[in-house]
Amino acid sequence: MCVAAPPEVRILPILEASPPSIREMVAMASNVVAPVWPLETSIAVNPLQGLEDLPFEDALREARRQHALCGYADRGRQAVNREWIKWCAAYFDAGQATIAMPGRDRGFYRSFAELARFDARLTGSETASALLASLPDSPEDAIARCLREIGIREAQQVEFIRQTIASLPGWAGYVKWKEQWQAPDARAARPASLVEFAAVGLVLTVLLWPGARILGFHRNAAPTVIDDLAAREARFRKSLLEKLGPQADVLRTKQTVRSDAQLVFCIDVRSEPFRRAIEAQGNYETLGFAGFFGLPVRVQGIDDDHALDSCPVLIQPSHEVRDEASDCDRACLGRHERGRSLLRMRGELYQWLKYNFATPFALVEMLGPWLGLRMIAQTLASSFVSRLSADARSAVMPAVDAKPVLDGIELERRAAYGEAALRMMGLTENFAPLVVFCGHGSSSTNNAYASALDCGACGGRHGGPNARILAEILNTPQVRAVLDDNGLTIPDDTLFLGAEHDTTQDLVALYPSQGQPPMQQSRLEKLRADLTRAQVANAIARTATFGQGGLDGDAALRELARRSSDWAEVRPEWGLARNAAFIIGPNDLTRNVRLEGRCFLHSYDWKADPAGAYLTTILTAPMVVAQWINSQYLFSTLDNVAYGGGSKATQNITGKFGAMQGNASDLMHGLPLQSVFEADGKPYHEPMRLLTVVYAPCAMVDAVICAEEVLKKLFGNGWVTLVCIDPTSNQAHLLRRDLTWAPA
Amino acid sequence: MDLFQLHAEDLFRADSLAWVMSGLIVFVIINVRSYAMRYLAGDRFQRWHRFLVLVLGGGVLAMVFANHLLVLLAGWMVSNLTLVRLMIHKGEWRAARYSGWLAFRSFGLGFVLLGAGFWLLAESAGTASIEALVQQDELNAMGFAGLLLVAIAALIQSAAWPFHGWLTSSLNAPTPVSALMHAGIVNGGGFLLVRLAPLFAGETLLMHALFILGLATAVVGTFWKLLQTDIKRMLACSTMGQMGFMLMQCGMGLWAPAISHLCWHGLFKAYLFLSSSSVVGEKHSIVSAAALSPARLVLASLSGLGGAVVFAQTSGIPVSLRDTSCLMAILAVTAAAQVSVGLLRRPLSAFLMLGTFAAGAGAGGLYGVNIHLIEAALGSLHLPPPQPLDAVYTAGVIVILAVWAALLFNLPARFQSHDRWKQIYVASLNASQPHPQTVTANRTAYQS
Repeated sequence: MCVAAPPEVRILPILEASPPSIREMVAMASNVVAPVWPLETSIAVNPLQGLEDLPFEDALREARRQHALCGYADRGRQAVNREWIKWCAAYFDAGQATIAMPGRDRGFYRSFAELARFDARLTGSETASALLASLPDSPEDAIARCLREIGIREAQQVEFIRQTIASLPGWAGYVKWKEQWQAPDARAARPASLVEFAAVGLVLTVLLWPGARILGFHRNAAPTVIDDLAAREARFRKSLLEKLGPQADVLRTKQTVRSDAQLVFCIDVRSEPFRRAIEAQGNYETLGFAGFFGLPVRVQGIDDDHALDSCPVLIQPSHEVRDEASDCDRACLGRHERGRSLLRMRGELYQWLKYNFATPFALVEMLGPWLGLRMIAQTLASSFVSRLSADARSAVMPAVDAKPVLDGIELERRAAYGEAALRMMGLTENFAPLVVFCGHGSSSTNNAYASALDCGACGGRHGGPNARILAEILNTPQVRAVLDDNGLTIPDDTLFLGAEHDTTQDLVALYPSQGQPPMQQSRLEKLRADLTRAQVANAIARTATFGQGGLDGDAALRELARRSSDWAEVRPEWGLARNAAFIIGPNDLTRNVRLEGRCFLHSYDWKADPAGAYLTTILTAPMVVAQWINSQYLFSTLDNVAYGGGSKATQNITGKFGAMQGNASDLMHGLPLQSVFEADGKPYHEPMRLLTVVYAPCAMVDAVICAEEVLKKLFGNGWVTLVCIDPTSNQAHLLRRDLTWAPA
Repeated sequence: MDLFQLHAEDLFRADSLAWVMSGLIVFVIINVRSYAMRYLAGDRFQRWHRFLVLVLGGGVLAMVFANHLLVLLAGWMVSNLTLVRLMIHKGEWRAARYSGWLAFRSFGLGFVLLGAGFWLLAESAGTASIEALVQQDELNAMGFAGLLLVAIAALIQSAAWPFHGWLTSSLNAPTPVSALMHAGIVNGGGFLLVRLAPLFAGETLLMHALFILGLATAVVGTFWKLLQTDIKRMLACSTMGQMGFMLMQCGMGLWAPAISHLCWHGLFKAYLFLSSSSVVGEKHSIVSAAALSPARLVLASLSGLGGAVVFAQTSGIPVSLRDTSCLMAILAVTAAAQVSVGLLRRPLSAFLMLGTFAAGAGAGGLYGVNIHLIEAALGSLHLPPPQPLDAVYTAGVIVILAVWAALLFNLPARFQSHDRWKQIYVASLNASQPHPQTVTANRTAYQS
């Protein structure tokens, strides 16, 4: 037991002797916005992240207050927001406009100040023109001057800035991402900070809404949604613990037998039903581990132009791994490259003609008949079109075998990554002849939110490359020698394989591996066949979640293929909807229960972790990511306008990175309506805060929590509920807000 | 009141123009309804949407098969009103309601002008049958006034500058409705002009006015399109530019090419709207001739001319320097030359030169063949010949070439730091903004 941390950041600025600088004031004010990632690599975050230092109820109340203020529909506020949105969209555009806003390399505030002088919507009066002509060079000075002009008292300045920023939480969040999370070299083209963002907003306020005042401080009573939430969570917790309790008893008397294959899946909730489906096909054992497999890497596939981060956003990648063609002669590689540049040229020709004057008039007539045919084919026979275009693609650009080249990672690091991964997932003995690391990714068409369905642990990308790299590492004899020295012996007949689970179609593709012993061939064949059987079983179960129960295997597979390839489909898969719990323990704890794809499963063996180091990592990294995801689904469902993306039907992609609603709006961060609702007014996701279940002694868990501020914050403030199933007694204990245990 | 004389046998007439237009609209409606079946799954307005799309289709079909002016007017009204309702969708989102209201206002004005124009035409000719009307030799003053009003109604329907506001503020509509709007409803103006082509062809003044407004719309719409930062407004401004080009073609007496443009643009734009969620993370590739050596520029120009020659062969248009048909060949030159400039940035080789000429010829040929298809489909329709090339048309063609060349040589980027350019940029950015009431300035004002 340890003492709960008091809330550290208060809503109101703490008045100190020296007044805070503008930069500090903006930092304090921006706690109400969470970073917003671009759609291409969308990362789930808690939209109330900046308020996690408060108890959940207070944070919700504060968020609702800000939200109510953001709905304050004063004409002045609206005029300011309209122009602010206009300049944000123009400045942050990442490739839509052919003629871009001039002078963007100077930063958001300065390039705005430079152009605003010519903006007839702003220069209405002489005083306005005079102000625009004499804007200070630094955004801090501009903020100070604007606050003076509007007449905001010093004590209220932070709150005023907060209310200004929070009136466009999506755009503000995007700026926060740029400032705090974007890679520095990418940021240089269009640098921006929240100070600049606030400066632009305040300049616009002075010009268009000089009568602006700080808005009322009313705090509403605790919203009723909290009571509903708590009741729903208690019901779920009870039913989950009733399922797990008997399993814990069995665990103690468990015999170990060598299985035919061990398959390691991502902790993602979509893995759980598939794991049960493959286990049902034969003597298989499955494990759960973060889908980047512990590798802090940037990867570059054979057809990628650049290397891309493939690890959680909380980690800085430290190695670059490129795929290189293997088993392929110069001629076939040449064909592949020629095909690739042909395909690329097709897209370029189109864009050259599209983005000029006069040529688009000819372009539409050149392509009209072709696009008409494609339109009807994609609408009426999407699976067929997708197969046909895949065939055409591989005819033009024949596939080549490629495998990752590990030269970028020194042998010691390779061994360290391999050992850490195996130990953390509790796989230190009793290796099967085949061990498959299975990353995951989705496959959808015409879906702006495709990356939200991919692997969050890989930075919103497909996880296959990481799985393959880990398999390569562990197949290296030198690595095995090092591991052997460290007491982790891998049998000679064990082969590691990489794979990728397509979560939209439940297809598992095994990457080819070289130098596999011949005796593995038959095992591999059987595994492939069983994976197909598991696919069918899971497809039948999943189509039922779309209200299409009772399909036979082939029909279910066809339906999943259709959802994957249909350009009109707004629900290619449910993603992580209905996620509710994070279970840390051995596979046998959950193997014989049905969790309905609602649980993140992380394999863990407390006996192999005497110091609690692995548990600390699991709770502070994968669990935190799970909490981000859980909060995103929770809040997108509770209030889809405030924290979600709204309906896909009226979304408009801006700057090739974000979604607005209709003509123009705030940047709609969060999940779209269709991802969490099965129909208008009918949520599919069940809003719940994350429940974490750890199978380890309470005392050990206590020690971990006491040492980690982030855990004290999340558990102590009620953002996550923790239940510990103590193996010594098999009793479940619930961690209270004061961080003491109570019987669950 | 000749407008109200109804004879059952002359209410409808099926000519090749009606068949081509109805083919387009039926095709688009089949697509949009089928698309919306999944795209609007779970939307409580879905059934209504699918029903209204059918009503809209009925209205458009009545309009294109109409032989009686009143039938055309009725079809016009039904399809426009249905579109407004489709745009508003569920009705709770204020910005969407206002977009609908803007469209309603424009369409209402268009309807009144069209009704008045039809009345004047019918009174002056003594008949409300379109077939009889277009056979008249001379229009009297009343007839001319009627034709003028009809032309304005066409400009409003096709979102010509300065009547474009409803179109550039219409993106609060669900995506399939935008597809329907850009592939169907905006074409109404072009259809109307071609329907009455024999009357317009004799009025040089009207033809020049159509040409100039069309050109202005084409230049402004395309320029705005290049500035836009969101996909849907980019597509809307692009449609504006394309409609301007189609009106220009009408103003030049290039009637069949105008219908060809309207059809193929419709399919192109519907496709782009329906696939507009795919643009996330897409890379942008533009081409500039600024860095090209003179020798390569000559090659690119030759390839452009080659494209025009192939175009003339394949399009079936008797291209002549004496009438406006040369504009079509000039467009083929720009397209073929643009492609060639892009290709010629690579290291020069015999293979590259061959490929460049092939690409230029291919561009011209593809353009020509597709126009030929529509021309052939319109075959039996006796449309007036292109206008003779006079000073107005020549000046217009020069403007088109100048703007094209300026962008090809990337002048905007070179003048980035000049105050004059900044002024133009900000003014154009402002002019292409949607109506303020149709912007969702407060997040909470959005209603799904």
